[in-house]
Amino acid sequence: MKNKKKYIEIFIDALAIDKSKFNEKLKYNDIPEWDSIGHMTLMSSLEDGFKISLETDDIVDFSSFKKGIQILKKYKIN
Amino acid sequence: MTVKSLWFNKPRLLQKIKKLNDHLRKNDGKIGTFRRGIELNYNNACNLRCKYCFTNSPKGDHVKDFLPLSKVKEIADEADELGFIEWDLQGGELLLWPDKLFNVLDAIKPERFYLYLTTNGYKADRKMIKELAKHGVSRMSVSIDSMDPKVHDEMRGRKDSWRRAMQALEYIQEAGMDPYLNITVGHYNAKSEDLRLLLDYSKQKKYKTLINVACPAGMWNQVHDVVCDEEDIEHIRKMRKEYKNLTRNLWNPFDNKYEKIMGCTTVNRIYITALGDVLACPYVHIKIGNVFNQTLKEITDYGFRIKYFRDYSPLCLAGEDLNFIKNFNSTPGKTIFKPVNAEDIFSKDDFVE
Repeated sequence: MKNKKKYIEIFIDALAIDKSKFNEKLKYNDIPEWDSIGHMTLMSSLEDGFKISLETDDIVDFSSFKKGIQILKKYKIN
Repeated sequence: MTVKSLWFNKPRLLQKIKKLNDHLRKNDGKIGTFRRGIELNYNNACNLRCKYCFTNSPKGDHVKDFLPLSKVKEIADEADELGFIEWDLQGGELLLWPDKLFNVLDAIKPERFYLYLTTNGYKADRKMIKELAKHGVSRMSVSIDSMDPKVHDEMRGRKDSWRRAMQALEYIQEAGMDPYLNITVGHYNAKSEDLRLLLDYSKQKKYKTLINVACPAGMWNQVHDVVCDEEDIEHIRKMRKEYKNLTRNLWNPFDNKYEKIMGCTTVNRIYITALGDVLACPYVHIKIGNVFNQTLKEITDYGFRIKYFRDYSPLCLAGEDLNFIKNFNSTPGKTIFKPVNAEDIFSKDDFVE
């Protein structure tokens, strides 16, 4: 993923977590910051950062950092 | 695998929440005239006798009135069309009437809303809570006054109410709903050790904490010394950053820095009584319409014409804005069932076209 560095930065910034808390195995609800509200903030940040508009189904399916990489491919974010 | 949270299983709701988030981003983080929620006092009867009840339930005020189911259904359908996100069902104590409550839930069709129940928890046993989860309730908010059971029970006027309320929160979490610990914070406890103990407990249990500031309304009508002063408010804001699981209705829930205030939500979150009267909020007992005579759109359009409800206010009008409280929200004898009409208390200049 070419945009991986940017993707990770958005993740850390949107969830307002310490870099040490981040790892690529991160899943929804693994940490208190990634709750349902944090999820919406993350989705908005991805939309702003990559200039895309996520569909509702994709927002629901976005259940982990890795799953997010697959979903972003649909929006030509590789 | 999809995201595991009850409200994420509600695609219609998710669309509306996204719309709110987009609105806030485009509107400098301010709520403006977004229609956010409905707080329904479906019935005002209660099994406790709380000293500061804002609905005058301990005085037996209109405890036999229920909003008809057909009207609830009609309101819910229109609310969904208008983009309302959430319903807060409250009383009184609605768990006194489980069958009626389940009928109301079915009428609202919770799959369209973030639907929650505010309760004292006394009758919220495990079986009841599981049933509520099955009926689409996403969250239950349980009011707690203190970490000291004696203080809570005395405030609530009934023994064992603290233990039952705390137990209810555990059942709520177990059932997969969002457990909220509701705390009223006034000048009398804003900086107390007891409040800090409550906040610590809530965080340790992984609950959310909803803070309602004490308002001189209902049983506390005219009791102005409960109102938080500037230092108290600043202290609460600091605790928001420190704890990160605190919410207030006027805070921007999407702000990951825990600082932004989207503004007082009068009219954004309307309060409907069992008589159908619509008040600007649960604590501003100013009537802006009645659901038996007008549509929700007409009522909220009218409410937003009043500049105090339309304009951005970083302070809660009912609990923090002393000018508003003194000028408009201190009428003796005013209750949720005897509200002041908006056209009687505001001047023509207070309305905008």
